[in-house]
Amino acid sequence: MSGHSNWPEWIYIGVIVALMVWVGAEAWEAERLVEHVPAGAETIIVTGQQWFWTFEHEDGTKEIGELHVEVGKAYKFEIISKDVNHSFNIHDYVVLMDAIPGRVNTVWFAPTDAGTHDIQCREYCGLIHYNMRGTLIVEDPTT
Amino acid sequence: MVLELQKPRPVWQIMFSTHHTDVGLLYLITSLAFLFLGGALALAIRAELFLPGAQIIGDAMTFNRIFTVHGTTLIFLFIIPFASSVGNYFVPIMVRYKDMAYPKLNAIAFWMIPPGGALIWLGFADFTWYATPPYSIISAPGPAADMWIFGLKILGISSVLGAINFIVTILKCKHPDMSIGQVPLLAWSFLSSSLIILVAIPTFAAALLMLLTDRLGVSGFFNPAMGGDPIAYAHLFWFTFHPEVYVLVIPAIGMMYEIIPRFSRKPIYSYNSGIFAFVLLSIVGFSSWAHHMYATGMSFTEKTVFMVGTLAAVPASAMHVFNFVATMWNARIKFLTPMMWSVGGIALFFSAGAGGVANAAMPLDFTTHDTYWVVGHFHLFVMGTIAFGSIGFLYYMFPYVTGRMYNETLGKVHFIMSFVGTVLVFFTQHVLGLYGMPRRIFDYPPIPEWIAMNQIATVGAMIIGISMAIFLANMIYSSGKGKLANTEDPFGVGGKYYYPFEAKNPSH
Amino acid sequence: MKKFVGLFLVLAVLMVVPAVDLVFAAGDEPGEYLDRRVIIWNLFYRLMTVGFVVGAVVSGTMIWQCWRFRESHPNAKPTPYEGTDW
Repeated sequence: MSGHSNWPEWIYIGVIVALMVWVGAEAWEAERLVEHVPAGAETIIVTGQQWFWTFEHEDGTKEIGELHVEVGKAYKFEIISKDVNHSFNIHDYVVLMDAIPGRVNTVWFAPTDAGTHDIQCREYCGLIHYNMRGTLIVEDPTT
Repeated sequence: MVLELQKPRPVWQIMFSTHHTDVGLLYLITSLAFLFLGGALALAIRAELFLPGAQIIGDAMTFNRIFTVHGTTLIFLFIIPFASSVGNYFVPIMVRYKDMAYPKLNAIAFWMIPPGGALIWLGFADFTWYATPPYSIISAPGPAADMWIFGLKILGISSVLGAINFIVTILKCKHPDMSIGQVPLLAWSFLSSSLIILVAIPTFAAALLMLLTDRLGVSGFFNPAMGGDPIAYAHLFWFTFHPEVYVLVIPAIGMMYEIIPRFSRKPIYSYNSGIFAFVLLSIVGFSSWAHHMYATGMSFTEKTVFMVGTLAAVPASAMHVFNFVATMWNARIKFLTPMMWSVGGIALFFSAGAGGVANAAMPLDFTTHDTYWVVGHFHLFVMGTIAFGSIGFLYYMFPYVTGRMYNETLGKVHFIMSFVGTVLVFFTQHVLGLYGMPRRIFDYPPIPEWIAMNQIATVGAMIIGISMAIFLANMIYSSGKGKLANTEDPFGVGGKYYYPFEAKNPSH
Repeated sequence: MKKFVGLFLVLAVLMVVPAVDLVFAAGDEPGEYLDRRVIIWNLFYRLMTVGFVVGAVVSGTMIWQCWRFRESHPNAKPTPYEGTDW
């Protein structure tokens, strides 16, 4: 049994608990905002398979390895897998969602500037996981 | 001492022994051998990733196998057996009992480690140490995958048997005059981690069996083609392996509880806080597992629940940091090798935890999940805290085990190089992850920032590698030819020890 | 003391401004969509600021006390426990 007072430890724990509550609250709020899919978002079906990505737009256009989208529009990705787990990632736009066979996962984004960005796989899926890459091409609006 | 190389005992006497000091020695040698084997694999990985393109590893499959076996080896064949070594050697002494509660079971638990290790190394599976389905079922080449599954099954049973032994020894075999509130914190750490093992490991044992039957095609638990759900495995796996990380870290913190007060020449600031923190961490550690699964498509509510569970564990870990800092306050600290490793370990423990809080925040996981941020984060725990605490304790127990002293200067050189190397590798990897580099990739596009950071990390890894070579030489040479230690007080820090150092081995 | 007040103000601003900002958060029309990058990285930078401040305090304390309470420090004095049966 120690004979000294304990108030420094209690204050320290109080500060840490307060910090954790703050982190939790901020994260909760940010996640709530980020998960809210806008109403008019255009659906793109993303299919991951060993070891490439394919995309299907609402109008039926299909793309392999490359995805063309327009500035200013909101897009909702419905992500599926044909074989093993993959993870669809556009790092520059912080888009990340696993492709799990047997389920459809959803994530959305709205590109803001024209440009090209990398698409990569962020879940180990075997031999060519390291090169399961694609390109996102954001174009200026056609209208 | 159990390892007197100048007057060696017959090897068979040690191998067939059931005495806790001999079993501890067997665990020690085995775990250190696997530390070096797993570490060599790490150096191969870092050498390969120095530049984009293939360097020393010819193809992706070999690379994938190497990182799988690296992770599996260091967790299951180094960290856990090393903790078992320390526990076996010291827990009976700490509770003033003659041996572990079940000496023969103890020996059996040890002898499961070499076959488990052999299965893993001879198989060399490629599906990462998580073995996630569906890849591990439909795509991972056998027999490597099946050998890994069997190897881990055996190692899991070994852990459970060891846990039962520790719990019974501490709770039931402690000296009648000793209350549970007088048992040293190192013993409490083994009690806590053993209780976690008992609750957590059976889940993984079930998952392994289900994985095996899925691979054989006779079941479809995790295979969508047969109506199963891969996410079920993720839940089972992480339900075990999140608490398991506390199983890994708690004994290392316990080891620091031996060293830091002793080298500070005063008792631990708050023994009760230490116990409370261990017990709280053991319980709360079960509430956060799916923070590893934020990207699998869980609902907002699920993610929130696990985020809260994750953040709830932080105060318990923080209590240990406070305890150590408060112990060193107003002390008179002798900075010998064991103390340097322990203090360095606590500093890195704090950094690892701080990075973890960023991961726990759900939306931030989108930036860091499955990138090198995670690699940097968990390595700060397993290398920065656990390996540092373990190696520090190894230096500390060296005179007890061998009766000799290691070379102090080389020990300090080992620490400084390892600390610098660890910071170079793992802090850099946090930033590398923020730049988007995924985990488990054999090659990467020639993005200049990625290349630069990979190179820094490789340099750091090589520094660690050289320091480990110095360590190995120091250990081997000093075991046979080191200066004889003053067995009453090998480190000259004074104080009365909680328990007698002489471990009476009946074979001596 | 002034340093602590300054630091406290920085941290308070870090917490209050985003909270107020969210009241005016975007909606569902094109041109008003939230940029997930901004939300996420903003949260990250705020957490990192707090984390590094706490880290500086904790590691600064550890470094200072390792220096001050080392046995070779000129003012090092034995602890009350040395020479006793602790």
